[in-house]
Amino acid sequence: MGFRMKVEGPETIELGIENILTVEFETDTPNDSNARSTDLGTSLIVKGKILTAVDGEEADSTIKLAQWSLVPGERVDCYRKVTIDVIAASQIVRQINLPNAFVVDYTEEYGDTEGVGTFYLHMKQKKDKMVSIKLEGGFQE
Amino acid sequence: MGFRVKIEGAETIELHIESVQKVSLKTDIPTDSNARTKDVGSTMIISGKILTAVDGDPFDSTRQLGLWSLVPAERADCYRKLTVEVISADQVVRKIFFPNAFVVDYREHFGDTEGVGTFKLVIKQKKDKLDKITIEGGYSA
Repeated sequence: MGFRMKVEGPETIELGIENILTVEFETDTPNDSNARSTDLGTSLIVKGKILTAVDGEEADSTIKLAQWSLVPGERVDCYRKVTIDVIAASQIVRQINLPNAFVVDYTEEYGDTEGVGTFYLHMKQKKDKMVSIKLEGGFQE
Repeated sequence: MGFRVKIEGAETIELHIESVQKVSLKTDIPTDSNARTKDVGSTMIISGKILTAVDGDPFDSTRQLGLWSLVPAERADCYRKLTVEVISADQVVRKIFFPNAFVVDYREHFGDTEGVGTFKLVIKQKKDKLDKITIEGGYSA
C-alpha cells in the first residue's frame, strides 16, 4: 500500500510513497463508559522515513512537520488541514480528512547505523470540530 | 472458523468471512467483588482485514465502521444492532446479538509493506439493556 499525505496551512507539506511507512486512524472513547460517550477523540498517527536528498534534489518536507509541531497554541496556524490517501491497486482505499488537525506528539529518531531517519507524528482533530472529519474511500485513483 | 458480522442501523454493514479474522466476547465483572455484582458489562472485540477491491468488485464495508465510530452520542444511530455468527463445519457455534451496541474504540492500520489494512473494533452493549443480549448456537448453518 502507498500513502500520500498533504498538510495545508500557511505552507503546504506534502509527503509521498517514499516517505510514509504506516498510517493509523483511531477513534477513541473512554473504555469504562456504560453508554455511548460524548467524549470522542480522533487520532491520526503517521510513521515514516526522513530521507536524505542526493544529486541536488530538494530535501523532503519532514522538516516542515517538525516546525509545525513547534507552533504554539496561541497562533492560528497550529491548526491545519490534513488529508491522507491510502492507495492500493490504483484505488483509494481510504481518504482521511481532518480539517482542523493539531500535533499532539512529534518524534524524530536517527541512528549511526542507519541511512535514513524516522519520524512519528501523532495528530488529533480539534474536539469541537469532530463532525467535519471526512472518512472516504472505495473509488478509483 | 468463519465469521459473519451484521450491523443494522441507519444503514446495514455486513462483513464477510474474508474480512473478519478474530472475534472475542468478554463479560466484565469487577474481580474484587465479594458477591455477585450488578456491575456487569459486555464487550465484543472484532478485528479483521481492510481489503482493496479489484476487478471492479464493490469495496468491503469497513469504511462504514469508521463512520459509525464517528457518530456523536447525541444521535440515536450511534446505537445499532449487532449480530455476530461464528461458523465452523456448517454449524453455527455461536450467534451473539447485541441490540444496542455502541463503539468504544476503532482503529485502522495501514503499512507500506502490506497489501491489506487491518481494523480493530471495540463494541459494548448499552449497560442498562444488558439483559437484551442473546447468545445462541449449536445448530446447522
